[in-house]
Amino acid sequence: MKKLLLFTLVAVSLGTTAEAQFSEFADNPSASQFTLSSEANTLQIGGRVSGFYETRILKDDSNYLKKSHNGWGVKDFDMDFLGKTASKFVYEFHISLIDLVSAAATNNTANPANSGIKAAYIQYKGWPVHIKFGYDKVPYSQGSMSEVWGTPYWSHANLYGGDLFSRRDFGLALNYRFMKDRINLYAGAFSGMGENFFQYGNDASGTFEYIGRAEFSYPAKMKYHIIDQENSPTPVFRIAANARYADKTQPKGSSINVDAPDASGAYGIRVISGKRLAYGFDGIVKFKGFSATVEGHMLQLKPTDTLDGLYNSTTRSKNNNVVNAGGLNAGLNYNWEKKHSVFSAMYEGFNANDLYPGTQEWLYLAYAYKVSGFNSVFKIEYYKPLTEDKVQNPLHYTDQIRVGYQIVF
Amino acid sequence: MRKLIALLAVALLLISSGKKELAHTKFKFADWKSLKGIPEPSDIVYDSATGHCFIVSDHGKLFECDRQGNIIKKAKEEGQDFEGVEVKDSFIYVSDETPRKVYQYRKSDLSLVKVFPVSWGGAMNRAFESIAYNATKQCFLLVSQQPIVIVEYTTDFKEIARYPFKGVRDISGARWHKGNLYLLSNLDACIIKCDPVNYEAKAYYQINVLNPEGFMFDDSSNISITSDDMQRLYFFKQLPTIQ
Repeated sequence: MKKLLLFTLVAVSLGTTAEAQFSEFADNPSASQFTLSSEANTLQIGGRVSGFYETRILKDDSNYLKKSHNGWGVKDFDMDFLGKTASKFVYEFHISLIDLVSAAATNNTANPANSGIKAAYIQYKGWPVHIKFGYDKVPYSQGSMSEVWGTPYWSHANLYGGDLFSRRDFGLALNYRFMKDRINLYAGAFSGMGENFFQYGNDASGTFEYIGRAEFSYPAKMKYHIIDQENSPTPVFRIAANARYADKTQPKGSSINVDAPDASGAYGIRVISGKRLAYGFDGIVKFKGFSATVEGHMLQLKPTDTLDGLYNSTTRSKNNNVVNAGGLNAGLNYNWEKKHSVFSAMYEGFNANDLYPGTQEWLYLAYAYKVSGFNSVFKIEYYKPLTEDKVQNPLHYTDQIRVGYQIVF
Repeated sequence: MRKLIALLAVALLLISSGKKELAHTKFKFADWKSLKGIPEPSDIVYDSATGHCFIVSDHGKLFECDRQGNIIKKAKEEGQDFEGVEVKDSFIYVSDETPRKVYQYRKSDLSLVKVFPVSWGGAMNRAFESIAYNATKQCFLLVSQQPIVIVEYTTDFKEIARYPFKGVRDISGARWHKGNLYLLSNLDACIIKCDPVNYEAKAYYQINVLNPEGFMFDDSSNISITSDDMQRLYFFKQLPTIQ
């Protein structure tokens, strides 16, 4: 606790002097991203560097003394290359240097879902339907599609952070917008292996995961920004519904759990040997600096093997060959632009498997002081499990705080 | 509880370090009209010689319209990402943000005359959002969106000087009117009246438009503002006099 208070005081002093320290970021005309232009091509080079001090308040558990989460944490060492051509092609290559280094140093065992590549795609925007091919975020879940660096939080919420469903994948995606871009439709076919695509490639089933999403915004189109940085003079909202389906029933002799053990994620439900349907909704409203978000997801999993661990040894009469999961997330934010401040609060509750006892509830509180928007920002996040799922996600801590700084260039 | 107190202390200390700013005079629109057929309208300029206005779109298109924004004519030659438009003599000048170019069109038939390369090293989509002609200094002005820099150019687009501008978070439009430069901020939703020589801010007018991208003054000094996200043209009266 003393260490936390000391660090907080250091962070405060840094934060209050940061405007001078990083003044070149606001004043230098060549700050922020860098762009190169030729006759028919434009290439932008950007990136993000951020890190924090993290502390977890450990439970009074004499058998657990590990304090590896009480110390420094690196969030981003990212580089991004975004190009556009006069013939209406867009291409992007986004890499996380810290993930690349970690993967190389640990033979990709530290966090196999973070391969180091966050985007690598080409897109054609010359037709009414935009076509994207490659690796990028999939069009599912507002929270997942929105950048966390543009909020006071340090990471995405658990519900859409990648444990229940993948956030990125390799595949083909179509996007069509009409009615002044107020209606926005997505459809795509992806590998279904999510962030583990680079580790395992396609699975043995030879099938895709299909994802669709429909959005309606009014009275104007909306981008995937959670905070109302524009202090919208009129209320603006978006509602959306999305779904994703994959039948990864494996051929004889193959098993996702054996062939791609990391792909199924923390709860074993991100990719399964069998049929998997996920559907959900989300919404956001912004007005005069306030923004409120809500989203919910349901998952219906049908593992082919009746002895699959997801069934938790329950009888067929009890489980009906279906495992359900899902949850709800709601957030409230206020952008106090005059004071360069953003306040955020978020609640979520979810059940990662209804055949196991227990559910999870989490509370997030966060504050950001914007020295130069979210390009140069001090952020503090408080994170608390309100209800612990002692079977599927046993915890050794009761609270977590992260205090740090972020630069986007 | 101690953690909460520490968190609140951080927030209060940071908040208390804010700066004082010039007062903003409120300025509300009187009417609006949908801009049909003009996707993502980004700037508008009025031509007193014809009574028409010219509107550019993020889709790289230039339109000649009536005062209400109804399309009369469309330029055949397109660019990538038109963000600023200005009329001078018998030509129209358009800023293409992504490739950093200025297009010179003939006003009479909207034919493309010449393309001038201009230089901006910042973010691809935070470059020259606006173009205006400074009649006092007899030079063109290209204004970058973020960070804000007013760049003076000769009439054949050779760079003369750069003036960093502070006070708002971004600039999406620029217009010359009766001896003053006026700037438009999208994120802060305001019009700023600036000194014609050193471009220092003299007055701020807060507007109630979402995503204002470009603006014009007509012969009676009434203002019209284009909104990209709303795809609308908002009609205002004259700027209020500041006491």
